[in-house]
Amino acid sequence: MPVIRRSWPARSPPPGGPVASIGAVTQTAESPPAPGAEAAHDEQISRGLAARVTVIRPAPRWPHLDVRELWHYRELLGRLAWRDVAVRYKQTSIGVAWAILQPFLMMVVFTIVFGKFASFPSKGVPYPIFSYSALLPWIYFASAVSLSSASLVSNRPLVTKIYFPRVLLPLAGVTVPIVDFLLALVVLFGMMVWFDVWPSAGIVLAPVFLLMALVTALGVGLFLSAINVRYRDVPYVIPFLMQVWLYFSGVVYALEDLAEWQQWVLALNPMTAVINGFQWGVLGTEPPGLGKTMVSAAAMAAMLIVGLSYFRRSEPGFADTI
Amino acid sequence: MATAITVEGLSKRYRIGELQSAYGTLRDSLAAAGHRLVRRDHERHYQEIWALRDVSFELADGDVLGVIGRNGAGKSTLLKVLTRITTPTEGRAEIRGRVGSLLEVGTGFHPELTGRENVYLNGSVLGMKRREIDRKYPDIVEFAEIETFMDTPVKRYSSGMYVRLAFAVAAHLEPEILLVDEVLSVGDAGVRRDRDVHGHARQAVLERDVRAARVRRRRPPRARDPARR
Repeated sequence: MPVIRRSWPARSPPPGGPVASIGAVTQTAESPPAPGAEAAHDEQISRGLAARVTVIRPAPRWPHLDVRELWHYRELLGRLAWRDVAVRYKQTSIGVAWAILQPFLMMVVFTIVFGKFASFPSKGVPYPIFSYSALLPWIYFASAVSLSSASLVSNRPLVTKIYFPRVLLPLAGVTVPIVDFLLALVVLFGMMVWFDVWPSAGIVLAPVFLLMALVTALGVGLFLSAINVRYRDVPYVIPFLMQVWLYFSGVVYALEDLAEWQQWVLALNPMTAVINGFQWGVLGTEPPGLGKTMVSAAAMAAMLIVGLSYFRRSEPGFADTI
Repeated sequence: MATAITVEGLSKRYRIGELQSAYGTLRDSLAAAGHRLVRRDHERHYQEIWALRDVSFELADGDVLGVIGRNGAGKSTLLKVLTRITTPTEGRAEIRGRVGSLLEVGTGFHPELTGRENVYLNGSVLGMKRREIDRKYPDIVEFAEIETFMDTPVKRYSSGMYVRLAFAVAAHLEPEILLVDEVLSVGDAGVRRDRDVHGHARQAVLERDVRAARVRRRRPPRARDPARR
């Protein structure tokens, strides 16, 4: 985009200080001829406007989340998520096939390495379907975390040029990979038929467990995206973090075979509940214990609260530091 | 007439040192924190600058205000505070009405998306509702005069086409209060090579302005400089 600037008459800098006061012009437009109808219309507008007062103040110490405002901006959230989905596979040769290939190839590798060589336990179902059904929520989670963590910095032009609740960006980030998840789900159904594995009644709760993955990713994403505004170390941390997190989530081995106390410790990782719960639904394996699921839910809530508070506290400075 | 905008003692402070270190790494910050702990010096390593200092004014319905001043005078900062992109350090402002802000044209344009997709994206970013964009879409396309390219990714546009499209969306924003930063001049520059469009754009925007100013309230500081009074 060319930036051709109009030249303005040069002014000699006024004495004293770098900040100059040259002048402001106020000009009042002529008032309209106000016949009855128009005056009424005007009045109506004024009344409508009274409700829309924007107050600008220094940032409060502990800002709270304005849910009404978020609701007002729901269309923009949809638009931002749509944009990322639309752009995701542009100019790739096999396009959305990546959404299926990525988990599928990982499943193949895991099956060879952990299923065949290491003979890890797999809840009594064939290892390929065990690992694929764990990889789906996991890959969703990992992309949700990395997309939402990068969301503020990658949308820097928006952050510095226009106002909207910044929470929308990480929120759009955790929404986008849902599309990939749904595409990869088709392969899971195919595998279920192939391996003759059938879902249990727990499948009705599968969306709830996936929602847990979304909320956890949002909590982490809010926190990391706010840090990323200030420290660009975040993109280097995430691949490592995700790799370590993977091994503590029961993706490559069945958690049931660990000692009881170890399972309770791992319950602090919400992804263990997500994966156990999802597998219970689609593969009909053992249901996740209620107690451990509650621990996971509490950990998830804690992550969301910490992430959101940190995000809201740093939000006023985003445009200035990003 | 009712007041549209009230600004009382608005001030904004930037810390220059802080701005510079903002791009630093976590390690730098930890190192700095460590130094401070060891040396116990609490002197501040940054310089403060007040971009805005005690700015107050009031605008009634239908007023048009232009702010002029030289580089670094604080025009853009004032605008960023009034558009809520950044928060003030002190003071307060009250704005009554639906605010539309144009700090640049084509905010959020994505190069990979087509012209049509970008109209919808940019429109939403500027605060238009989907139905509103649907309704205005034909006008926007006509205004930009690039009908045949609406399904081409914007990255393949010439810069003139790009600016015309971006400008067309902006020109169809109908807020009650409009905050503008050098946007019209950018529009000028971009479309200057095409005299017809130049004249057309200018005229359409001015017409809209007048209407907006008469029926509603509007405040376009064609922000050309200082905000300090």
